[in-house]
Amino acid sequence: MNEFDPNTALSSIGGFFRRLRERWQRFPEQVKRLTVLLAVVVFALVTARTMLVPADFGKYGHYRASAVDEIVAQPIQYAGHEICTECHDDVAETKAAGFHKNVGCEVCHGPAAAHTEDVEAVQLLAPRGREGCPLCHEYLPSRPTGFPQIVSASHNPVKPCIGCHEAHDPKPPETPKECSACHATIARSKAISHHAYVACTRCHEAPDQHKLDPRSFRPSKPDGREFCAGCHDDGASGKEGIPQIDQASHEERYVCWQCHYPHLPEAQ
Amino acid sequence: MEELIQHLAPLVKEVVGYIYPNEIELHWGLLVVVYPYVTGLVAGAFILASLVKIFNVTELQPTYRMSLLTALAFLLVAPLPLLAHLGHPEKSFAIFFTPNTRSAMAMFGFVYAWYLMAVLLLEIWFCYRKDLILWAKQERGLRKLLHRIMSLFSSDVSERALRFDQKAVKAVTLIGIPSAFLLHGYVGFIFGSIKANPWWSSVLMPIVFLFSAIVSGIALVLLIYMIATPLRGKEMDMACLNKLASYLFYAMIIDFSLEILDFIHRVYESEESIEILAALVTGKLFISLIVVQLLLGMLLPLGAIAMAKMLQMPSDLKKMIYFVAALLVQVGIFSTRWNVVVGGQLFSKSFSGLTVYKTTFLGLEGLLVSMGLLLLPFLILYVLFALLPPWEESKVSLEGS
Ligand code: HEC
Ligand code: HEC
Ligand code: HEC
Ligand code: HEC
Ligand code: HEC
Ligand code: HEC
Ligand code: HEC
Ligand code: HEC
Repeated sequence: MNEFDPNTALSSIGGFFRRLRERWQRFPEQVKRLTVLLAVVVFALVTARTMLVPADFGKYGHYRASAVDEIVAQPIQYAGHEICTECHDDVAETKAAGFHKNVGCEVCHGPAAAHTEDVEAVQLLAPRGREGCPLCHEYLPSRPTGFPQIVSASHNPVKPCIGCHEAHDPKPPETPKECSACHATIARSKAISHHAYVACTRCHEAPDQHKLDPRSFRPSKPDGREFCAGCHDDGASGKEGIPQIDQASHEERYVCWQCHYPHLPEAQ
Repeated sequence: MEELIQHLAPLVKEVVGYIYPNEIELHWGLLVVVYPYVTGLVAGAFILASLVKIFNVTELQPTYRMSLLTALAFLLVAPLPLLAHLGHPEKSFAIFFTPNTRSAMAMFGFVYAWYLMAVLLLEIWFCYRKDLILWAKQERGLRKLLHRIMSLFSSDVSERALRFDQKAVKAVTLIGIPSAFLLHGYVGFIFGSIKANPWWSSVLMPIVFLFSAIVSGIALVLLIYMIATPLRGKEMDMACLNKLASYLFYAMIIDFSLEILDFIHRVYESEESIEILAALVTGKLFISLIVVQLLLGMLLPLGAIAMAKMLQMPSDLKKMIYFVAALLVQVGIFSTRWNVVVGGQLFSKSFSGLTVYKTTFLGLEGLLVSMGLLLLPFLILYVLFALLPPWEESKVSLEGS
């Protein structure tokens, strides 16, 4: 082994660079230009990367570590359903026993964290219209069979759902199967008609025996224009919301149901 | 919420059978159809150029540079549909800076970048370098400057340098062919590797994608050649057209066989999905798959080209046939992409129901944007043709300057 001699070391390093330069000069011109371009591009990319990639990227995984803190810092919107029990124990109790026991309070009442902190300032809304409930109960082919579904357009229209179903303890109300048990078609058309809330018995006096021996005991049927006019004549009193006609001049030569099917009346 | 319900309500009515709630709305729409279509054109056009170079097909020389520029124009547009679909183009750099090696989709960014930088731009640069230098010598003003920059201020036109250029082009082409296969095979791979979807999940997918890409690329170059040449007031080279048509024909035969193979394989395997797929093919995809893709896009052009090859006919009629066949092939390949992307999402993973897809006209995912993205490459191509004329007569010889 030779002794270490700084002079020979230097000259051999110098020789290395000289050879490198000669090599480089012998490269075709194209390669030189492309190498320079490549070096510039690589340098630009590496600089951009160090500047753009957040310093804490990859600390825990393929994401920014501080993203976790940012998410933690976001305001909490939902309170969960347990805290409601503290003040609304009555509601919670009813709900716990009913069909909606697994439906969270905030699904219907919206995010409630703010409400639990200041009950006076932040009032929650209750879905009292007909829009809320069908989000879950509207008929959809993809909902599991057996899940209670309705077609809201024909399921007791106009009236709000909570008029018949208790939101916190919904039960399917007893069906008034009385007339519809046998006159289903009529009942169904009437249910979506303007006469939906006019009871069958308002127009037909049906003896109880009719249900046992329908052919022998026939209910009454309205017998003339006067009957309908009882609600619809413009002289009729206390009938707000009912469309009015003048019985004396409105198509006076015919009975009303020659033109208006009584179970699905339309005005055309 | 209200808006969403209004959008979904009419779709629900057209659902057949049982589908899961998250299957009503398709996640990959028209833009994702445009994307593999455009990438396919890139790969196809490039592979055509490579064939010309590697096998020295003299008839096809007039289309060599044209194919390269076509590939470049479409490659520049290829990522745009994805960026528009993902909705946050300004964040896309993160894909490159924080590479996620476990995501096939994320790694595609690198395949794309490799193909653009290491293959296409390099080959074009070597191919045009001499002309760029010579053009710049005769020009002045902005054009001169542009050509100087494009040549990277290179000036060596010695015998040795030119020989090096040619060797480099050959070498890049050699790397380029597998890269082009990779580029489009990759798109097929992304679909083919989705285990949960029987319409996609198939090892043949990358290969089928690749060959349909070659078909569409050749047809595109044929179309561009047939449109650009008369526009420049030049005569079309019939030998070149015939050769292109032959290549198109062979590629289509392979593509067709692969698709049939895939079909037979599925029918013979007869997995549990076969019934819903049969319902899909004979129902919602009947027009786009059987009529457009198979009859109009494959069998009709195949028959037409075969006729043109076998029968004696005036060359004008031949040109007409080639042109119409190439157009039909484009429509056919586009519907191939449609049938893969949209078709794969039309049936429920429960295998017992079908949903529908409706495109909107406006909006980022709409028809208008997609049409814009399909037109954009032609605009770029126009600019490229102006800057880097690929025509024979634009080449300047050393002695002339
Ligand atoms: C600290 C006690 C407290 C807690 C906890 C609390 N509430 Fe209340 N909440 C009240 C009081 C008090 C009112 C009556 C406010 C008024 O009428 O001014 C009220 C009113 C309501 C109303 C009004 C409905 C209406 O329109 O009449 C709803 C709904 C409601 N709370 C839901 C909730 C839900 C859901 C939770 C659980 C996330 C909850 N509350 C938690 C005290 C509480
Ligand atoms: C299915 C939807 C739904 C759920 C779940 C629900 N609510 Fe209600 N809630 C309503 C509707 C609708 C009303 C309005 C009832 C009315 O006006 O008759 C209401 C009214 C109220 C009221 C004010 C009137 C009253 O009955 O005291 C309170 C308080 C309330 N809810 C608390 C709760 C709490 C607490 C829970 C969870 C334990 C809960 N709600 C879960 C729909 C719901
Ligand atoms: C978040 C979804 C959701 C919303 C919103 C909702 N429900 Fe329910 N509902 C349910 C679930 C879950 C059941 C229990 C089904 C079961 O037990 O199979 C149920 C059961 C019922 C039942 C019992 C039906 C039967 O025959 O079993 C009725 C009635 C009902 N809901 C009415 C309503 C009304 C009225 C509203 C609006 C105030 C409403 N629901 C809002 C989810 C919801
Ligand atoms: C006029 C009273 C009335 C109104 C208003 C009403 N329902 Fe009902 N609902 C009934 C009766 C009666 C039944 C049981 C008989 C039936 O199935 O029609 C019932 C049944 C249901 C059932 C159970 C269906 C099943 O298959 O088990 C659901 C869920 C329901 N209603 C939801 C709603 C919703 C949601 C609304 C508001 C859009 C609403 N209802 C409005 C009277 C009403
Ligand atoms: C047990 C089944 C049954 C029930 C319940 C029933 N009906 Fe009937 N109803 C009949 C039959 C059967 C007829 C005879 C039809 C015929 O002969 O054309 C009839 C006839 C009628 C008629 C036509 C009479 C006529 O002279 O044309 C009316 C009106 C009528 N029912 C109303 C009612 C009303 C209102 C109710 C409810 C209070 C009701 N029905 C309940 C079975 C029933
Ligand atoms: C607004 C008044 C009115 C109401 C409410 C009404 N009806 Fe009628 N109904 C009539 C009139 C009027 C006729 C006679 C029509 C005719 O003779 O053409 C009639 C005829 C009938 C008939 C025999 C003819 C036919 O159409 O088949 C039956 C059955 C009947 N009603 C059943 C019912 C039932 C069941 C209900 C409740 C679901 C009901 N009606 C509610 C007015 C009414
Ligand atoms: C109990 C009172 C009552 C009786 C009796 C009655 N109707 Fe009505 N009718 C109403 C009400 C209430 C409405 C409007 C309901 C609504 O639209 O909210 C109405 C609506 C109508 C309409 C308007 C429909 C439209 O398109 O606007 C016609 C037509 C009609 N009834 C015809 C008749 C005929 C025919 C008879 C006799 C067979 C009759 N009504 C008996 C209460 C009655
Ligand atoms: C010859 C056919 C005919 C007869 C009979 C007839 N109507 Fe009408 N009715 C119509 C027509 C058509 C319209 C709608 C055009 C109009 O408003 O005049 C109408 C409209 C109505 C309206 C709706 C008015 C409004 O303002 O919306 C009511 C209520 C009504 N009729 C009730 C009756 C009653 C009650 C009778 C029996 C006393 C009757 N009609 C007899 C043809 C008839």
